[in-house]
Amino acid sequence: MSGNLNYIIRRLLYLIPVLLGVCGLVFLLFNVVAGDPTMLLLGKHADAQQMADLKAQLGLDKSLIAQYFDIVKSAFTFDFGRSWATKQQITEMLYQGAIPSLTLTIPGFFISTVMSLMIAIFVAYYRGKGIDLFIRTLAIALMSTSSLVYILVFQKYLAFELGLFEISGYEYGFPSFIPYIALPVVIWVVMSIGPDVRFYRTLILDEIYQDYVRTARAKGLSEKKILFKHVLRNALIPVITYTVVNLPFLILGALLLESFFSIPGLGGLTLSAVNASDFPVIKAMAILSAIAYILFTLVSDILYTLVDPRVKLN
Amino acid sequence: MFKSLLVVLSGVMILGASCTKKVDLKDRTLHVNVSAKVKGFDPVNAGDTYSSGEIARVYEGLLTYHYLKRPYTLIPNLAEDMPTVSNNGMTYTFKIKKGVKFQDNKCFPNGKGRELKAKDFVYSIKRMADAKNVSEGWWLLDKKIKGLNAWRTKYKTEKTNYDEVVEGVKALDDYTIQFTLSQPYPQFLYSLAMVYTFAVPKEAVDFYGKDFLNNPVGTGPFVTKPYTQGTRIEYTKSPSYRDVFYPTEGSAEDKANGLLADAGKKLPLVDKIVVSIITESQPAWLNFEKGKLDLNGIPKDNFESVVTPDKGVTDKYAKKGIDLVITPDLDITYIAFNHEDPLFKSNLKLRQAMSLAYDGDTANKLFYNNQGIIAQTLLPPGIGGYDPNYKNPYRQFSVEKAKKLLAEAGYKNGKGLPTIMYDTTATTVARQMGEYFKKQMAQIGINIQLNTNTWPQLTKKVKTKQTQIFGMAWLGDYPDAENFLQLTYGPNMAPGPNGGNYNNKEFNKGFAIATKMQPGPERAAKYKELAQKSAEDVSLLLGVHRTSFVVKHSWLKNYKFSTFNHGHSKYYSLDLKKKAEMINKL
Amino acid sequence: MSTQVLSNESVKKESVEIEESRSLWGEAWHRLKKDKVAMTCLIIVCLYSLIGLLSALGLVAADWAKEVGPSYAPPFENWDYILGTDIFGRDVLKKVIHGTQIAMSVGLISSLIAIPIGVVLGALAGYFGGWVDEIIVWFYTTFSSIPGIILLMSIAFVLGKGITTVYIALGLTSWVGLCRLIRGEVMKHKNREYVQAAGALGAGHGRKLFKHILPNVTHIIIIFTSLQFQVAIKSEVILSYIGLGVSGQPSWGTMIDDAKMELARDVWWQLAGATFAMFFVVLAFNILGDALRDALDPKLKGKG
Repeated sequence: MSGNLNYIIRRLLYLIPVLLGVCGLVFLLFNVVAGDPTMLLLGKHADAQQMADLKAQLGLDKSLIAQYFDIVKSAFTFDFGRSWATKQQITEMLYQGAIPSLTLTIPGFFISTVMSLMIAIFVAYYRGKGIDLFIRTLAIALMSTSSLVYILVFQKYLAFELGLFEISGYEYGFPSFIPYIALPVVIWVVMSIGPDVRFYRTLILDEIYQDYVRTARAKGLSEKKILFKHVLRNALIPVITYTVVNLPFLILGALLLESFFSIPGLGGLTLSAVNASDFPVIKAMAILSAIAYILFTLVSDILYTLVDPRVKLN
Repeated sequence: MFKSLLVVLSGVMILGASCTKKVDLKDRTLHVNVSAKVKGFDPVNAGDTYSSGEIARVYEGLLTYHYLKRPYTLIPNLAEDMPTVSNNGMTYTFKIKKGVKFQDNKCFPNGKGRELKAKDFVYSIKRMADAKNVSEGWWLLDKKIKGLNAWRTKYKTEKTNYDEVVEGVKALDDYTIQFTLSQPYPQFLYSLAMVYTFAVPKEAVDFYGKDFLNNPVGTGPFVTKPYTQGTRIEYTKSPSYRDVFYPTEGSAEDKANGLLADAGKKLPLVDKIVVSIITESQPAWLNFEKGKLDLNGIPKDNFESVVTPDKGVTDKYAKKGIDLVITPDLDITYIAFNHEDPLFKSNLKLRQAMSLAYDGDTANKLFYNNQGIIAQTLLPPGIGGYDPNYKNPYRQFSVEKAKKLLAEAGYKNGKGLPTIMYDTTATTVARQMGEYFKKQMAQIGINIQLNTNTWPQLTKKVKTKQTQIFGMAWLGDYPDAENFLQLTYGPNMAPGPNGGNYNNKEFNKGFAIATKMQPGPERAAKYKELAQKSAEDVSLLLGVHRTSFVVKHSWLKNYKFSTFNHGHSKYYSLDLKKKAEMINKL
Repeated sequence: MSTQVLSNESVKKESVEIEESRSLWGEAWHRLKKDKVAMTCLIIVCLYSLIGLLSALGLVAADWAKEVGPSYAPPFENWDYILGTDIFGRDVLKKVIHGTQIAMSVGLISSLIAIPIGVVLGALAGYFGGWVDEIIVWFYTTFSSIPGIILLMSIAFVLGKGITTVYIALGLTSWVGLCRLIRGEVMKHKNREYVQAAGALGAGHGRKLFKHILPNVTHIIIIFTSLQFQVAIKSEVILSYIGLGVSGQPSWGTMIDDAKMELARDVWWQLAGATFAMFFVVLAFNILGDALRDALDPKLKGKG
């Protein structure tokens, strides 16, 4: 176990160079390449004097190295200052946005994972049969349409014409938000079920061709029993690790869904930040999601060893 | 296994279906939408229309525009009366209303809103001038008020001292405020009707500190909870709102439109406002059609399926009781030449040729439902200096004439003319307009390369003079020709609002004189002359004065469009019986 | 939001014993030929490429900008514009065809950007190991830590609009997966006997890497490319929506983006045209990618 602890500590320390790298990338993009944002922030009547004043106020007249250190500092203190566009406290903005995002993405993610897993087991059981081919083709077909098309069409026909769902909007607090996230969740599921089914099917098939399955079969165990007792249990390991690694991306929310359904989440926040040249917000989003990604990858690795004792962390 | 799948799936469907709400017909709640994120509730940062519209439901200023009168007329709001102006036009003295209360808020002792005093305006105006607040409205007062610039510069970095007296903004007593200008500036009064100068209590700013922008405390008709940056903002009637009544004066047309039915009633006429922030046009339109929004401003673009050529709504919508309100807006679209580009600088004939080759009528049909007014000069109708009879000779579409002028400019059929870069924004409509312009110029052999940009990129290019030509629109800040003519005023060139960098000595001189004159026929004549000269010199390739389109449901009463919609929701009322009847037809 | 298609795990985990590459390719082609669905997909892809090429050469749909009918004419009513017209009365079919050119070029060029970066970095890291590996792994971990969509938007944003930006942004955001796979493969191969043998015969690093190892990992590049095409085509739509897409010419993305104004008013044909055009080619690339993986990956032999 001490080896594992060592590993975890090492991985946590690895966060530092990666974070410095992320800061560097963000710095390169927004402080070096992107150039001067002040003219945008001051509106149509701005003059040169006001722009110079603002530049000084935002710390953009400092040397590049000092600007880089400002970014690094914010990554370690989590103090990202205020949004340029809205003058709001960025940590507060992110906090306010994270809740609606999660109320949309967690149910979406949960439902699509469970459904895909069930379908994957089903098609793995009937592998090679017509139904397998049909569902696989359907999964690929679902993936072959742009998410923007799903949103436009579902919103117009399911919500408006048929009146099955709210068209758009959001209210804070349980259960008020439920009617508003219903359709976005459906779209989320439709969008992610295709790739998920395909991926889980591959994982399950990987297991089915393992030696232990052959042994079990030789022992005369029924195919169903093998599938559920042995294969599924082992296939769950990569499923879990894969799921955990994807968790941070849920926090980011679903960009298009959020803007079309007026859900005040982080995805929409990022989008409007890009539209408004709100660099500090984009930087904060990039840095925070990188931290989340690294941490969750680590968690996923640890989980891996917990469920599968054969694996040693090193 | 399939069964359980079906259960989950139908569970999701039922959840969605059963939760779709019916509209409650008992409460007098106005449902409206805004199409962009609301930044916050700090008047000094009311840079965008959307945020300022929200701020104006809570905050108020000294002056406002009369709800019904056109052309737009300033009337006192928190001021008791219009100001007395000294003979030299440099001193404006206001008496403010007595007994006006700020809304109850925990920033005040015991949570009770106190009375509004003259010093609140002094404070609010200084706040806007404070460089640390980076107010986008500073240009309104920049170099205009005695001592204010010095005060701003003094406290640029050190802690601002709001107690230091500025000569130009003084409270003479609790109810009298006096402004002293540093130069004649007749447009000054308009700035007092703008959200930037609305009255803010110092207690709230001190109490909430950096979070003041989420905790609005005004004197206005509506109150709202702390703002959480969601996509829904709710307002309720302010219990401490003073007696304000629906206007009794209006034109015959207003009367015919039923806009005087509530004349003399105490405002506001609705109990609650729910504002939904809907950034995409599809959900906004669908929500409106379902009756979940009482009105919807429709984008100034292709709405052919909604609007018929005779300015009505199509049958499908008319049956649902949907009305269309079309009102000319105080605005202008244009394509600017960069006059610092050697190609355009001294080449009047090229500019004229391009202007002649641009078919405004077809553009009007394609993009504005044929409701726009082809711009002959920079000035839109309804502004002193606009001449309805004037026809700009270079605005009358003619390919032959354009070709002739192009040949005279030395580029017969476009020969020898390099490809011209046209920059515009990346919105769907802007892109389509760019494609249209390209097509138009191709008729006379001019090659245009269309280049769409994000708004930040375009702003940057314009402000650093890196464009050749670019598409723009200007919405008036206030109803004065100065606000439009300044688009071609030399000293305003980039990074100022004159993005085309037009710099004509004669025009500059005339502009400087005219804008300092007091309103009246003499000034209007001067404005007219300036606008026409600039138009014939093709300082800009003029587009149209757009019209605003608003669709509203039959149950919304008292709606009148205004370019300066500051706090107008207090005039709206709802016919709930009508709503109960109509909602089923939607 | 969408999960990745190419399962890194399964490819990474495979332990392929490839001694003679030629027979692998021969057998793969043989297997692919037998798969009727995959062959159909290959034909579809070739057809789209041909249309794209013809359009690029100006042989078809060069006059997409021409006004052929009234504004918003519905489809299937006039043979001159069978798929209807857009706001300017331009032929939707021609726009779809021109969009094909854009889509295929986006897939191709973004792959051409991503492949050299991914292959070179991956091969160097896998082959040399040690500090070279450390640095390259650090570099791609940094890249992959930022969610793809934020990185994509940021790069597109700072580079400015236009088709070049679309190419570069998509290329720069998609090399990481490839790099990771190549690194893993090269690592496995470098200790194989045939490489050792080549080393014993006096082959230098470069020769070992490029002459001996890389030919054995090309199947990864092929699979990557077929999947990159469909990712790129779909991403172009998102970039168009954000306003960072192609400008001045029609693409499927801009056509779908137009629909957000049109659909509420029942103008559905631009959306439908672009969506179906996109659907078939993305579908074909997906199935082809799968078939290629099956064909080139002996471990899965006999599966499915």
